[in-house]
Amino acid sequence: MPEFKIQHVTKYTYDSPVRDSANQVILYPIQDDYQEVIKHDIKITGEPFVDVHIDYYGNEVGSFTHTESHTKLEISSKMLVITKHRMYPIDDMFADQQWSDLRLLNHQVPFIDFLRQEYFEGLDELKAIIESQKIANETPYQLAMRFCKYVYENFDYIKGVTTVETTLDEIWKIKAGVCQDFAHILMEMLRMVNIPARYVSGYICTSKATMRGEGATHAWAEAYIPNYGWLGLDPTNNIIANENHVRLAVGRNFSDCSPVKGVYKGAAGHTLEVAVSVGNPDDDHMEEYEHDIHHHDAPIPKPANVPKNSYRQYMEMMQQQQQQQQ
Amino acid sequence: MQESAYFTKYTPTPNTWDEMFGADAQIRDHYQKVIQYLGAESIEELNKKEDLAKRLFMSQGITFTVYSGDEGIEKIFPFDIIPRIITGDEWAFVEKGIKQRLEVLNLFLKDVYSNQFIIKDGIVPADIIYSCPHFLREMYNVKVPYDIYVHVAGIDLIRDYDGTFYVLEDNLRTPSGVSYMLENREITKRLFPDLLPQCGVRSVTEYPNILYKNLLSLSPRQIPNPTIVLLSPGIYNSAYFEHTTLARLMGVELVEGRDLVVDNHKVFMKTTTGLQQVDVIYRRVDDEFLDPLVFNPSSVLGVAGIMGAYRKGNVAIVNAIGNGVADDKAIYSYVPEMIKYYLNEEPILKNVPTYQLGNPEEAEYVFGNLNKMVVKRTNGSGGYGMLMGHAATQQEMDEYKAEIIKNPRDFIAQPTISLSAAPCYMQGKLTPRRIDLRPYALVGPDGIEIVPGGLTRVALREGSLVVNSSQGGGSKDTWVLI
Repeated sequence: MPEFKIQHVTKYTYDSPVRDSANQVILYPIQDDYQEVIKHDIKITGEPFVDVHIDYYGNEVGSFTHTESHTKLEISSKMLVITKHRMYPIDDMFADQQWSDLRLLNHQVPFIDFLRQEYFEGLDELKAIIESQKIANETPYQLAMRFCKYVYENFDYIKGVTTVETTLDEIWKIKAGVCQDFAHILMEMLRMVNIPARYVSGYICTSKATMRGEGATHAWAEAYIPNYGWLGLDPTNNIIANENHVRLAVGRNFSDCSPVKGVYKGAAGHTLEVAVSVGNPDDDHMEEYEHDIHHHDAPIPKPANVPKNSYRQYMEMMQQQQQQQQ
Repeated sequence: MQESAYFTKYTPTPNTWDEMFGADAQIRDHYQKVIQYLGAESIEELNKKEDLAKRLFMSQGITFTVYSGDEGIEKIFPFDIIPRIITGDEWAFVEKGIKQRLEVLNLFLKDVYSNQFIIKDGIVPADIIYSCPHFLREMYNVKVPYDIYVHVAGIDLIRDYDGTFYVLEDNLRTPSGVSYMLENREITKRLFPDLLPQCGVRSVTEYPNILYKNLLSLSPRQIPNPTIVLLSPGIYNSAYFEHTTLARLMGVELVEGRDLVVDNHKVFMKTTTGLQQVDVIYRRVDDEFLDPLVFNPSSVLGVAGIMGAYRKGNVAIVNAIGNGVADDKAIYSYVPEMIKYYLNEEPILKNVPTYQLGNPEEAEYVFGNLNKMVVKRTNGSGGYGMLMGHAATQQEMDEYKAEIIKNPRDFIAQPTISLSAAPCYMQGKLTPRRIDLRPYALVGPDGIEIVPGGLTRVALREGSLVVNSSQGGGSKDTWVLI
């Protein structure tokens, strides 16, 4: 059973003091039969009280505020997690039976949320591709695996080419993105053929550092397979997400799982640094990797005229509200 | 009875329930006294009163905002000096019906945000609830004080040709217009000082006191003087006049989002002497804009982190967040079923038959009968974006149809209900115009209270069936008799 020590640091630095910041973190590893959390600690600048609640999708969500004037905000999450290999689906039921089992979920909670198609311009094109991909008597499991491969083969993995605000339309046009874009496209394909699909955020951890999104905040999709349940599919690496994937949250899409987001008041722009390192628990050495998932530092424009006088700067700070998101 | 010239010309609209005229062309009993009084006045006198009413509205700044048109957006809400009169019996019926409906809508909200029994039992389809943009998953399992979600409701009622009351809409989010109910009464008191006591008109002035009492009872802190604020989106909101009026009448602070801050899951108001903890927020900001951290991130009308304070029970928010799932127009058609489900009772007030355009068979029927239908957006309000089939051109119908096909779930259709008519004083004579009725219900830990009255809206254009103030409607004082 693999054991992972993960450290995930999110650091915002502001050009000038900001205040009244309210934040939400979804950084708590899921506890279930395949994932055991031995230790988890979150440290935040100013040591605010973090209130944790369970959201609609069962994720632990933390919220905290930092009202005092500040120029940096660091959120450091450290965990020790043991994962277990999960058997792959046996997939010995007739395909027809499986597809009709899936149809029964169409109007059921919670699957409704995971079947809802997001409209985008490439939908018709995607439909045609899906039709061309279909093979008679194929099971949902087989089809899902092929979709995963399709996304892997037809989209380029390019860091920084998209942001959290990039729409499906744009991703479809440039046929490139990072892990969350891959996950969104795969989910869209699965939902189109009536396989419930949900978004997963977490970390991918292997000993060799050969995977895309490795050691960074990662994202993939889960497909609902009859008689099995949720099957993790990582289209960025074209593999089944299993004991090397540590799960933080599930939801309809990225916004339901956004690991760190916040709103603050101030005229300052901010820079965001994210570092995730994965280490062997017996060893103090932690490998550092760059972050993969997009963040929200780009779209904040600097004010055209930075107010020189401190009164105006204060007023700006009180009035200007900005968002930050990893 | 002496009848002036302006009165003898009154011709009721055919096939329409006239609030004043009975079927035998006789003035109904409850209008007798008013008509006698008016009959004794000269046209000059009435014109003077009408003029006075206009000047009073203007000088007191009783305005609303229209979000289109080239002229100034602040408009006087046109006021008709002839009151709309409701008998004690009619009111008792309406009151009972609204109470039943509100009790159920509140149970429904509690249910969809916790156990979802009504979905499991197949009464309301999960699809309809889950596709409603106002079904906020963020409210799931959030405990609200006394399990009350709807504290203030403005349920719109209309009367068909036979006088039957129908519920047209349940407004359970931030219903507006109550200040007009209060102001209209104040104006009537000045125009016809003797008439109100003579006719035995019940008072509506208790409204702000009841609302205040209810807000006070929701305070999470058991302290002598909890801080209550009215959160307004600000001066550009169409109901800003109302926000200032209610804050003044209740003696609470009128604030905007920028006046509040959340610290450690508590809400504070910025004052000249520092931060002051806020216990109860009567908000007139929509859910979507209330918390930029959780909902629309670009909103500057709300307060970041307020949802966290609410979830922890550190602040009471009125109305609760997420109520839009209960007054969605597609869910509206299930309210009679909900009443049977939760209370095992028959609905007292009727629903207008409603077709879901998300359902292909119903959509086909609607498209075949578009000229007899009113089509609305399920999440629209204020009469914006409606199609009145009987008055629409073929082109308008075709364009609207194209809109529907893009997103059928967002539309419902209802057969055109004629709406009752009441006499209005226009250019020196009494003329029938279509009206509706919006009574205001207040729900607190002690139960549901409805002040006897409400806002009667008038479609001022001849033949028009649209009473919304944003669409050229006016209003009348609404009298409920003892």
